[in-house]
Amino acid sequence: MIQVKVKCFSHVKYALETDELELELERETTTTRLDKLIREKAKGKLDGVSLRVAVNQKYVPEETVLGDGDEVALIPPVQGG
Amino acid sequence: MIITPQELQQWKDEGKSFTVIDLRPAEQREEFPLDGLRSVIAELGSIPITESESVLICQFGIVTEGIIIERELKNAFSLLGGVQAWNAYQSEKEDLSRWSRQTVLPNIGLEGQKKLLNATVGVVGMGGLGCPASQSLIAAGIGKLKIIDGDNVELSNLHRQPLYGVEDIGRMKVQAAKEKLEKLNRDAIVEIVDVFINDDNGLNFISDVDIVIDATDNIPARLLVDRFSKEAGVPMVYGGLYRYEGQVAILNANGRSGYSELFPEPPSVGGTCSDAGVLGMLPGIIGNIQALETVKLIVGIKPNLVGKLLMYDGMSHTAQTIEL
Repeated sequence: MIQVKVKCFSHVKYALETDELELELERETTTTRLDKLIREKAKGKLDGVSLRVAVNQKYVPEETVLGDGDEVALIPPVQGG
Repeated sequence: MIITPQELQQWKDEGKSFTVIDLRPAEQREEFPLDGLRSVIAELGSIPITESESVLICQFGIVTEGIIIERELKNAFSLLGGVQAWNAYQSEKEDLSRWSRQTVLPNIGLEGQKKLLNATVGVVGMGGLGCPASQSLIAAGIGKLKIIDGDNVELSNLHRQPLYGVEDIGRMKVQAAKEKLEKLNRDAIVEIVDVFINDDNGLNFISDVDIVIDATDNIPARLLVDRFSKEAGVPMVYGGLYRYEGQVAILNANGRSGYSELFPEPPSVGGTCSDAGVLGMLPGIIGNIQALETVKLIVGIKPNLVGKLLMYDGMSHTAQTIEL
């Protein structure tokens, strides 16, 4: 198992009612799988919200494999201005 | 009391009686001789007091201003911007002393100020982000601002759009903004386009600016700014808001990612200021960060947000930068 810290921004923060999560995940878990897990936790509140994922302060492509101790940021686009 | 280089030149031309007292150390006097003014050299501890008016001079006008206030010197004036501003005025007869507080910064200086005065910046959207961004840019000495918005001022705008007052309700935002911005700096040019950015006017609006600020309030408009920024090869300073959070990035600069690469899938749900809510200070902060990054890009100050996304949280006052 691996431990990752998930930082939640904007819509994700309000959907999960927290700005940070500590998760224990199976080895070889990808960012795409994590995105799915987060949406399940949000119980529909993130439907229609696209998310970009950064690992250790760097944007990563889909299906990036997570490592133990990684810090993952979930970033939705924001409209307001 | 303070005197600008222009006013001092006027005193000189009128033949007025005054004494110029140079308080700079010898090395500074040798490296930057005072251009066209006879002066008495003095040290800070022994400033000669004269009956007639005195103009105290230091390199940047900061030391002399402090001395006059501290020692309550009568009939003494501090030269705004100091020798640096005076000599620049002598060489070009252009008074840059107005920006002395920013030209004193080592990585701006007079050269940086001239770049700002010669720059043209486009601002798309004159709402919560566009108001503070354009206000700060005009104050910083940007020579020309192009602003585009097809909206009218509404009562619910006033808590976060400080360029407008109750008397502006119902007026075109760009018209009211132009009047306020020109009051701030009469030498700046403010060009307005009083329709929303669209497929027909976008490229024309962006193609002759040095930098475009995306201060829009919806994703389709952001994608239009992104597209025309790419087509025109003009960097885009993106800003976005959600409740207490804001994002800023410099996109499409030197072949780096644009908005459509940053967020390839636009959201299908809301999140505009009208449905998610926003406190007025948040767009003030984010719009000013956009203006700051614009100034840094024009002057050439690094590090900057090229290829990075800044996320600011107004609740915890934390900021995180992600590499794109």
